[in-house]
Amino acid sequence: MVGFLAEYMFTVIYLSLFVNLGLSLFGLFYKPHYVKKLIMLGVLGDTLNMFAIFLGYRAWPSPTTPSRPPILLTYPFENASVLVEFTSRAVDPLPQALVLTAVVIGLAVMVFLIFLGDNLFKHYGTLDMREIRRLRG
Amino acid sequence: MLRELAFNLLGVFLPVTAIVAFATPLLGKARRRAPWALAMFAALFVAVTTTVVYAAVAVGGRPLVYPFGGWPPPIGIMYEVDAFNGVLGLLTGWVILAITAYSKWYEKEMDEPVWYYTLLVGLMVGLLGCLYTGDAFNLFVMIEVLSISAYGLVAYHKQRPEAVEAASKYALIGAVATNMYFLALVVIYGNYSTLNMADLALVGRAYAASPLPALLAVSFSLWVFTYKAAVFPNHFWLPDAHPEAPTPVSAALSGLVVNIGVYAVARFLYTIFGYNNALGLYRGAVLLALLLLGCASALLGAFMMLVQRDIKRLLAYSTISHIGLALMAGSLGFAAAGGALVLALTAMVAHLVSHSISKATLFMASGVFIHEAGSRDLDAMRGLGRVRPLSAIAMTLSFLNLAGFIPFVGFFSKLLMYQAFLDAGLPVLAFVVILVSAVSLLGYMKPIYSIAFSFKKGAPVTSPRVELVDVLLVAMSASLLVLGLVLGLSPGVFSQPALSLTQQGVEDYIRAYLETRKSLGGPYG
Repeated sequence: MVGFLAEYMFTVIYLSLFVNLGLSLFGLFYKPHYVKKLIMLGVLGDTLNMFAIFLGYRAWPSPTTPSRPPILLTYPFENASVLVEFTSRAVDPLPQALVLTAVVIGLAVMVFLIFLGDNLFKHYGTLDMREIRRLRG
Repeated sequence: MLRELAFNLLGVFLPVTAIVAFATPLLGKARRRAPWALAMFAALFVAVTTTVVYAAVAVGGRPLVYPFGGWPPPIGIMYEVDAFNGVLGLLTGWVILAITAYSKWYEKEMDEPVWYYTLLVGLMVGLLGCLYTGDAFNLFVMIEVLSISAYGLVAYHKQRPEAVEAASKYALIGAVATNMYFLALVVIYGNYSTLNMADLALVGRAYAASPLPALLAVSFSLWVFTYKAAVFPNHFWLPDAHPEAPTPVSAALSGLVVNIGVYAVARFLYTIFGYNNALGLYRGAVLLALLLLGCASALLGAFMMLVQRDIKRLLAYSTISHIGLALMAGSLGFAAAGGALVLALTAMVAHLVSHSISKATLFMASGVFIHEAGSRDLDAMRGLGRVRPLSAIAMTLSFLNLAGFIPFVGFFSKLLMYQAFLDAGLPVLAFVVILVSAVSLLGYMKPIYSIAFSFKKGAPVTSPRVELVDVLLVAMSASLLVLGLVLGLSPGVFSQPALSLTQQGVEDYIRAYLETRKSLGGPYG
């Protein structure tokens, strides 16, 4: 079972991210309702964040032993091999920093888009983008 | 001395303007005049910064690097200014100063100026951040800062249904496009393990054999850049969003925000994935595609301009046309090299400068006439040039500049473009430039005629009035003439920005980065 998880789950999740990406783009462009578009935008943003997290992912060196968090517990180090072992199992922190930034920005954009949706409903009485067509484009 | 001052200003302008942006809502409630004063302070600070930075870069002849927090560059964020983004920054700083000064006059149309000024300062931060940053992820953050401010400003008149509709369409697709740029960054980081622009240009040399990830990254990121620049087929939001925004914001969006898209395209296709062969043969294909898209939007903008009756929509379509022309010149890198390429890039920079100043002037002048007429319809504005003569003069001069009359800077930028296309062996494109100019001249004649030259029958005779904004507008349009004379007398003025996108310029860009990395004790020596 552990072997199955280690070998296949990664691929399954990875492929499902691509499916997610396609579905969210489809929803964004073909669903007429504004709120559905916003939901799909949220899905798109989260999918891309997952991609970034996966980029920094590093598989635990031996799948059968339980994993430990990548923290240096002793200082000073007895020898350099502690650092070598640490870097071999630590994930890349930069994608996580990127994702943190992107999540905050995504929240700001989403809040603003919801505010616009509220105003759209006040003016037009609907959120169906097919009926909100006062401008010629 | 100058360089040291420029270095410090480059680091400090961003936090200072951001603090001003956040201080505006806090202080603006207490005093009525505070928001404008704060925004004016930020704009002056930005104008001084951009001037000093450009002077230092132009005099020193090498790029200026500011590593934030003293982190050695590939690890920390750095801002890097060469002559290309330096001159665009200089342009942005002074045009945004004029726009902020004009906003004082426009305040009578606003119910809550404090939020307007908050967003305007946010727009300043975003514009300068996008231009000066030397880090691809920081570019993403700054594009988002710019975008959110722009969406908010477009929706500023939220009691108007059209404004909210335009902003929602602009913001929704814009959010998707910026998300796609994030995906491009994921691909870039996964492939090259760095996000620093100069570092990407450097390590890209080792990836000449595998250009596919670079192609993926470039094609994802080009969506947001062409969206910001409103290049066909991503232009659909612009004719809605720009007219619906408050007039000074239309000037900022049409004059400055679209430049960011062209700048980022040039930065990606010349500096990052340019001469290091990281894109391989695909670079030519991408540039050719951009050339065709630029061609299409130049023609589309020019023809759509003919059928407009709303002055702000007419100006919006003119923006699409001119950005298309600038992109055409900028994407000539696949067919031209050496002198012809420098000529084409010079034409792009000169055209961006000419278009920015004159389009900002035109939108601001149109604001004056819209205020007098109470409508955006050109027919309602007949004869108003006699009421506001100075604005009418400024508007006519700017239209002449856009149409490319001697001795305006617009003439020389089109001449350079024409020459570059001929030198590159593509006379068809030179013909397109002439066709676009001819068609758009017809479009420009309509507002010039109805505002400056025609009479309104039975209108009461009013004596001409001159306010401070009229003087500002005339000063801006006079700067077009001055620039034209400068460019005509010494054609080398704009070649320094263009040279920083050539192979030697990219070498200098990388060397400045390596020096900073070394002096801060960065990795790999």
